[in-house]
Amino acid sequence: MSSDILLTLAGVVLVTLFGIVAGLFLMGIDRICAARMQMRQGPPLTQPFTDIRKLLCKDSVVPANAIPALFNAAPIVAFASAVTVLFYLPLGSILPVGTPLPMVGEYGDLILIMYLLTVPALAMVVGGFASGSPYASVGAQREMVTMIAYELPLAIAIVAIAWRLAVAGLVMPFSVNTLAAHPIWTVVGPIGIIGCILLLIVLVWVTPAELSRIPCDTPEAETELCGGLLVEYSGRNLALFSLSMAAKLVAMAGLSVLLFLPWNLSPVIGISGIGAAGIDLLFFLAKVIVVMFFSVTLVRVVMARFRINTVVSLYWGWLTTIGLIGMFLIIIDGSITYAGCLL
Amino acid sequence: MSEKKAPYELPIGPIHPALKEPINFTFKMNGEVVEEVDFAPGRVHRGIEWMGMRRNPVQILHLCDRICGICGVHHALVFAQAVEQIAEIDVPDRAYYIRTIIAELERIQSHILWAGVAAHELGFDTLFYLAWQIREESVDVIEYITGNRINYGIMMFGGTRRDITPDMYPRINQALSYYEGLFDKMVNLFLTDKTIAMRCKNTGVLSKRRALELATVGPTARASGLAMDVRVDSPYAAYGDLDIDIILPEVYRDETVGDVYDRIVVRIFEVKQSIGIIRQCMAQMPEGPVLAEEKYAKLLLGLKKVAGETFARVEAPRGEDMHYVRMNGKQEAPEMWKVKASTYSNQMAWVEILRGEQIADIPIIVASIDPCMSCTDRVAVVNQEGEGGILTKEYLHRLSVEKTRRMQV
Amino acid sequence: MIKLPSLPMALRQFFKKPVTNFFPAKNLPPSITGFLQSVADGKATIHPPIPIPPKYRGKIAYDRDTCIGCKMCIRVCPANAIEFIPETKRMRIWVTQCVFCGQCTDICPKGSLHMSYEFLLATENRFSESMIVE
Repeated sequence: MSSDILLTLAGVVLVTLFGIVAGLFLMGIDRICAARMQMRQGPPLTQPFTDIRKLLCKDSVVPANAIPALFNAAPIVAFASAVTVLFYLPLGSILPVGTPLPMVGEYGDLILIMYLLTVPALAMVVGGFASGSPYASVGAQREMVTMIAYELPLAIAIVAIAWRLAVAGLVMPFSVNTLAAHPIWTVVGPIGIIGCILLLIVLVWVTPAELSRIPCDTPEAETELCGGLLVEYSGRNLALFSLSMAAKLVAMAGLSVLLFLPWNLSPVIGISGIGAAGIDLLFFLAKVIVVMFFSVTLVRVVMARFRINTVVSLYWGWLTTIGLIGMFLIIIDGSITYAGCLL
Repeated sequence: MSEKKAPYELPIGPIHPALKEPINFTFKMNGEVVEEVDFAPGRVHRGIEWMGMRRNPVQILHLCDRICGICGVHHALVFAQAVEQIAEIDVPDRAYYIRTIIAELERIQSHILWAGVAAHELGFDTLFYLAWQIREESVDVIEYITGNRINYGIMMFGGTRRDITPDMYPRINQALSYYEGLFDKMVNLFLTDKTIAMRCKNTGVLSKRRALELATVGPTARASGLAMDVRVDSPYAAYGDLDIDIILPEVYRDETVGDVYDRIVVRIFEVKQSIGIIRQCMAQMPEGPVLAEEKYAKLLLGLKKVAGETFARVEAPRGEDMHYVRMNGKQEAPEMWKVKASTYSNQMAWVEILRGEQIADIPIIVASIDPCMSCTDRVAVVNQEGEGGILTKEYLHRLSVEKTRRMQV
Repeated sequence: MIKLPSLPMALRQFFKKPVTNFFPAKNLPPSITGFLQSVADGKATIHPPIPIPPKYRGKIAYDRDTCIGCKMCIRVCPANAIEFIPETKRMRIWVTQCVFCGQCTDICPKGSLHMSYEFLLATENRFSESMIVE
């Protein structure tokens, strides 16, 4: 029994470290890619690590107008919840439920991931309101509006895919194990593939909004609000927020990889055991880097920042419509393939 | 989110990432919408006119270069013109043409700099880096001609200190061809981009009538449809001999709205116009000396004796720039020197164009009139006790009431 | 549908060499003149600066022998950077005050002053030898 607990603790610590290291490494790659696209040299790859180290050396200033309890608690909650999402995502062939690191029990599936992804954003909103600065209040309002905006397309994408898997006869369609074992592309027919591509587009667009990057970085607009939500944060609190953003980057990209690109290398090469886990982890990182390049870096470099009402109309209008069309196509595909068997 | 949003005050500045220079804005907001704007400039006041009244005119010329980094040579040009008018110095024609070339090169560099800053305010850093990289070519040519990238030190009473010899023409032509080749790319990147159009069209609208009433100048006025340009209305230097059109937004758009997008259009097309003007100047430049009075000692002695007052104006990249100079013939330093920069006229437009806009648009609207507070801040307000501050109407009223009471006793 | 002209440009630029003009040293040295000294001695490497155009206005250079002490340069210096030493009737120029305008160079009747091409002048000590020209 105690060895189980020890194993779980070891798994938790390892995944947390992986989340931090991989997240900061991804941020470094994002910055270098963006710089090269702008004909600049860019910072060294380890720059985010240096930034976090520098932030941890400085003291956290709590403004006089702020509510200290909420102000200091928000970064901790944000970081903890961002890392918790990683426990429920398959990292390569390391599945959350089962082998080789049983960190979580049998519970924990896509719906839980969706809800957990909202918690870091909520923590930032609470931190923003507790900062006592008008810039932070405006940033927090915008973050709430953005959150409301992008949740709907995200939910549509996830539910559509899970429904299709359920119609195909797989039990526990929302479980990540099922998704990892049966990629959606192998289950649907040709109409469904078009639907899945539409849902992929939707997910690629939800990612920058979720991660607060240009064009949807209105909550943390540097030139408009001096940093918006995070304007009063410094030192250790800001380091924790940065780490939570790094972990969320891995989580969000990992979610996209899970839904649309869950293949692993080890069956192809034919290794098993720890070697397989290692190779698959690296392959997972490579996939995450590709997803991040196209949905975060490229988008960040070629567009200006949107206004908040543009963000709402884009996500509630256009992307919801595209998502619904995708879902509709998947429904048609499911009912054609299993003629009449509509769950 | 559905309860009534309480009005609150949002200060922007003096130090803020959106502002390139310190200005103290106070916005009265309702939710995300601006209701009223108030601003207090005066934070970059360096006492340049005070310094000027203690120096002889040659020293003031170099001081004028440093009034502003981006439009410095226009300040030097207008001061030189003013003193030349008082002292009745005849400037040789070749010097007029060289002055025109340098002024237009500065205009190119200033407008490209502004384009990059505007892109940065929108969050579009790629265009910011691209614009400033493009600007490097013009600054390199200026360094080749004048010896320094900023603060050129090339104007002198009676002409210019350096000549543009024919062996320098290939380098200048290379820069001009570079910009001509890039012009279409700039138009494409800035004016056809959907996200920039989304942010800039119908934002910060200044109608033609209000632009006239608020006495705006320069590209801000031209973008609202006013056809005013000092180079055409009262030509100075070599502009009288050249063929110049006034750039209005109709060169690219179908109709003039007077929004931020129009201002981008006007400035980008003015870059093209400047390239054309420089080519005309290089083709038409006459031979001759570049300085009316070569011996500086004689020049200084002459300037010590002149008396008179005048004002002169030029079209700086931001609009009309005017200097008033009065010399009394008894001392070397001018008796009075006042600089009225272009942003001084344009800044009241802020009150008009910021009303009713969202916070997200504040940086780009503030930057769209191309503010240069270094040029503008000339006067600080000091009250009777010697402290700095703003005299409000209530305070003045109270003072006069108290004085009346004192007199009645 | 959405026109993004920057997209092909960004992708093309990804494969080009960056245009950054690198700082001469890898990390900031405490004194640039000291760093240049160690480069001359061969102890440090430097990223070469971009080529300097002719007639560039760098640090002032002063020829004591031809100077006659007429003080014309002091009259026109906008920054009051030139000091007259009565005992030797020569000038001392404070480079930290100098604005590199070159007016003294133009007015000197004997041509004792000229602007050199040196511009890597930053140092933390305003009274160091590199900052005073006599």
